[in-house]
Amino acid sequence: MNLVAITRSFVVRAKRFLGFDTLRSKYAYADDPRFGHIAESRVADSWVKTTCGYCSVGCGMLIGVKDGKAVAARGNPDHPVNRGKLCPKGLSEHHMLTAPGRATTPLLRKDGVLTPVSWDEAITTMVTRICSIQARHGRGTLGVVGTGQLLTEETYTLGKLVQLGFGTSNNDGNTTLCMASAVSGYKLSFGSDGPPGSYEDLETADVILLIGANIADNHPILCERLQRNQHRTLIVADPRVTKTAMMADIHLPVKPRSDIALLNGIAQILIRDGLIDHAYIEAHTEGFAEFAAFVATFTPEHTSRVTGLGVDLIEHVAHLYGNAKSAFIGWTMGVNHSTQGAVTVTAINNLALITGNIGRTGASPFSITGQCNAMGTRETGFTSSLPGYRKFENPEDRQALADIWNIDVGRIPTQRGKAYPDIIEAAVAGSIKALWFVATNPAVSFPNYDLLEFALKNIEFLVVQDGFHPTPTTAFADLVLPAAIWGEKEGTYTNSERRISKVNKVVAPPGEARADFDIFLAIADKLGLREELYPGWTTTHDAYKDWQRVSAGRACDYSAISWEQIEREGGVQWGGDRLYSDGRFAFDTGRARLHSVPCEPFAEQPDKEYNLILNTGRTVEHWHTRTKTGAIAMLNGMVPNAWLEMNPIDAAQLKLRSHDRVTIISRRNRVAQIELRITGIVAPGQVFMPFHFPEATSNLVTLGAFDPISREPNFKQCAVRVEKSVSS
Amino acid sequence: MRLSLLESGAPARVVKSLIPERSLESGEQYRFHFDMTKCIGCRSCEVACNEQNGNPYDINWRRVGELEGGSYPDTLRHYLSMGCNHCLDADCVKGCPVEAYTKDPITGIVLHSADACIGCQYCVWNCPYSVPQFNAERGVVGKCDMCQGRLAEGLEPACVNACPEHAIEIEIVNKIEWKADFTAADSPGMPAARHTVSTTRITLPPAVAGGELERVDSGQIRAEHPHWSLVFMTTMVQAVVGALIVMLLAHATDTLSLTLLAFVTAVALNISVFHLGRPAYAWRALKMWRRSWLSREVLLFALFFLSIGACTAASWAQALGLLHAGQVVPLCGWAASFLGVLGTIASAYIYLVPARPSWNMVHTPLDFLLSAALLGAALAPVLEKAAALLGRLEPSYFAHTPVHYSTWPVLIISVLWFSNQIIRLFRLRSSSLFEGRASFALMRGALLRPTVISSFALVLLAAGIILSGVWTLGLLCAIVAVLSTRYLFFVSVVPLSMGLSFLRARHA
Repeated sequence: MNLVAITRSFVVRAKRFLGFDTLRSKYAYADDPRFGHIAESRVADSWVKTTCGYCSVGCGMLIGVKDGKAVAARGNPDHPVNRGKLCPKGLSEHHMLTAPGRATTPLLRKDGVLTPVSWDEAITTMVTRICSIQARHGRGTLGVVGTGQLLTEETYTLGKLVQLGFGTSNNDGNTTLCMASAVSGYKLSFGSDGPPGSYEDLETADVILLIGANIADNHPILCERLQRNQHRTLIVADPRVTKTAMMADIHLPVKPRSDIALLNGIAQILIRDGLIDHAYIEAHTEGFAEFAAFVATFTPEHTSRVTGLGVDLIEHVAHLYGNAKSAFIGWTMGVNHSTQGAVTVTAINNLALITGNIGRTGASPFSITGQCNAMGTRETGFTSSLPGYRKFENPEDRQALADIWNIDVGRIPTQRGKAYPDIIEAAVAGSIKALWFVATNPAVSFPNYDLLEFALKNIEFLVVQDGFHPTPTTAFADLVLPAAIWGEKEGTYTNSERRISKVNKVVAPPGEARADFDIFLAIADKLGLREELYPGWTTTHDAYKDWQRVSAGRACDYSAISWEQIEREGGVQWGGDRLYSDGRFAFDTGRARLHSVPCEPFAEQPDKEYNLILNTGRTVEHWHTRTKTGAIAMLNGMVPNAWLEMNPIDAAQLKLRSHDRVTIISRRNRVAQIELRITGIVAPGQVFMPFHFPEATSNLVTLGAFDPISREPNFKQCAVRVEKSVSS
Repeated sequence: MRLSLLESGAPARVVKSLIPERSLESGEQYRFHFDMTKCIGCRSCEVACNEQNGNPYDINWRRVGELEGGSYPDTLRHYLSMGCNHCLDADCVKGCPVEAYTKDPITGIVLHSADACIGCQYCVWNCPYSVPQFNAERGVVGKCDMCQGRLAEGLEPACVNACPEHAIEIEIVNKIEWKADFTAADSPGMPAARHTVSTTRITLPPAVAGGELERVDSGQIRAEHPHWSLVFMTTMVQAVVGALIVMLLAHATDTLSLTLLAFVTAVALNISVFHLGRPAYAWRALKMWRRSWLSREVLLFALFFLSIGACTAASWAQALGLLHAGQVVPLCGWAASFLGVLGTIASAYIYLVPARPSWNMVHTPLDFLLSAALLGAALAPVLEKAAALLGRLEPSYFAHTPVHYSTWPVLIISVLWFSNQIIRLFRLRSSSLFEGRASFALMRGALLRPTVISSFALVLLAAGIILSGVWTLGLLCAIVAVLSTRYLFFVSVVPLSMGLSFLRARHA
């Protein structure tokens, strides 16, 4: 039989080799009826309208499908967020649905080896093992870490399953590694979470101050929104000369972690020069007198010493902000990834409040979120608060939920359980004995890897539910549950500007992988609680309808927003364009609170032995721990490996050259064989590396120090030294 | 589901059309305008281009380069996004041996036909921007065509459409005016526009005009492809041409030697065919002899092969007693020599391209001619000895008259050959062009230095051995010396190119 096949294969190869065949059909062009002339391989039969699954900007997109396969990605020209534009990750997102490395079958560790098992065996084992551990050691010995990657409906479903089904309040999300400080800061200032502004403010503000936000790399489509604004003055505070800093009219190269001093110093000048809105302060805030007295010590000279900025520059920036008709402050991880993240957010809010730059067009203190559905987890997640921005401590909130869910109020915890880092520390200490990770990869993303590794080895049972396998985290798993990813399920995401957007199913998940929602229902079923927790639910739309009831009357009120409306309008913002336009805040007094925020030095200062400050961050081509973007050839090809940025002055002292392989050493561990980039992007004494790369994870060396309020890790500064790697 | 920016409801105050609204008039063509002040380095254009053209990840018809300057905190970072520059005086068009390139008479777009292309990659060598890229899977080159298929439909090219900052657009340029003043085509990180009169207009940030910006991809120069088939082909043909002339001068054109030379020529020309992505279409390379040095080389070497073949045939006829025209062999032989020398010169001219500074030197034709002389002077006596050995066999078809070759010409040629190489190295070291110095640095580097030293040592050794009368061993040393020098010639060239990124300093 094979003779024919061999001959044919030989003929094909010979034709290819001699050049008779130039793969014309593979490289042919054709006309797409909607998008015009394009490679034939990208011409779709039909288009599915959806929302991007990477960052929180929430771009509307169209995924082209041909013969049941995703073949093209386009920005949705009619979507209000991105108006047809996408970043390189979005433009190649259809490749993720055919990417290699997917988890396709449940895997159970048997005799040390992850072995394929049936879904039934997987779920039975999971429930049996967890219930057995809980029976022996208490319900709180199960810790669950979810994610901002799930649909809102799924997060809501997971919260009920963990808190009411498994009965443990030790439920948190990887969002604690990301925007927990913003949540805490909003709650401290305004009494509730919820970014008050809209992207539209970027187009209308006179002054835009970005603090620790490299939107050109991390939220490129927001740059498009910002660049529409021809009249703005863009001020970027960042210790690194980021791409965003290059866009700025004024770059403030602050010393690491001196942002609080900058904010207090600006407040001091504003108060000194009368550039504040007395009427607004009088009517809508409390604590001004104490605040004014506190920031009085942040004279321009003092602020200059702490931040490293010139006095004139600080005065200039303060006056720009104070004289703006509408001023916008945006921030991301430069602020949040800090042991002082939550209070830094309140310092930002202080500026907005004393100048009345909130609740108006172009005027907002605005947290730009990380993950596609971080906001959804903030609203629905049964983690740091009760669903619908309700408080664990508030008996009325608990009663209201119990009534809606028709359960005994005693089942709702009266206080928040352990936050993510505390769950890991409890696993180290032995008081958490089972862990369930959903769509997150802590073996790359959690700070101080050695401690995490100890925790994962110390527990009895680890379940990892993920779209990809193997990942550095599934390597530790006792049970791997293969999950559907973006593009394989239907529901909603909420973006940074509170816009609820529809996410649709483009293709079926590979192999036996299932939507997270279906996995949660199957677990509830096994627990015998499906009908109680999820009465009559079969689809995520059922979860959405339940969530609409839960959110009714809350700040994040979804009750009047149907899936159809979201689909039709390209997303709907809960709370409208902006929050607090009436000046009424969520505290009982209706007033916002001004906080006095001291500026403390960051925890691990450089010294003789560890003389450099390591900063971490992202690059536009990659997403988080690169499980997704690493599997997309185009993106991975553009940035295939990690690098370390070092100032030429430090490099000269260390006698290092660009492209040398170096080792970064901290008190905790070392990362070896990093490609050195000598560049003026970073200041002398500071180095920077991206955190995306599992094979060279920055978290081997980062510090496990956490914000006391938000519990967010201080990823941005730790003390290291750098040496040339011994060649491998 | 609409695509164009204007239709998408974007506010008119910001968005103007990014493609020309009127049609071209005579003397005009389309061009790219890249606004460096707007680009944020997001690389959406690169991805959009690959999606548009269905290219593999490592073939990027549009690329984004990084530029950096100044010192912290007054550091400058900027980005260059470039496709094809659709030059007025495009070297890819001029060099192509098969007319795969055409400059569209209406739009001015430099078009490439995959069907016509034979995959010789001469355009890759010619383009100062490294725009054409060889797709090994297809066996042909490909490049940016300004999405002419989309332009024809009134749609923006994919990169223009994708750019979130509207930093890329299509404009109309008056060719005569542009030829008179194309300073706006120059930018840090780009080879000088004068080589080919690039049409891309680049808007530079004011601070950059001072020329502070430098590319970030120059810290890591990698060796180029060795093109083994060309290493062997050029060396073998040069040896044959040299030997033939030496034999003619010595009146020692015996049949067996001629046969061997004709055979080597045949092998060499066949090897060279496999340098092509599409060997089956090698014959097409003859087409553009009026303007392409590659076509001329192919034509002259083909004629050389025919004449050395005729010469050999005549010699056989004479040996077998079929022909008594004693003058036919030297006549054919001298014709072949003449064509061979011309072919060798044409061959050298292929490498005299501004886009490859370490090739674009007088040392290249000198090397080719001196290598022919060196190998010829060493090969002819060895052939003579072999013929003498065979001549002793019975029955003697190949009556042999002994010839004595003196050794001093080998010594002189070796010294000249050696000097040519050494002077080339010194000139590269002090080249005014970065790429020239980078070639020197490559040869001085750990990877190539042993080869450089041994090739120089071998040529001196060859001369020494031959002076002591051991021709065969001397010839072997000379062959290895020339082969390794030719290898170095190919791998150590650093092409002009637009600046790329720090991590990905080159593409496929």
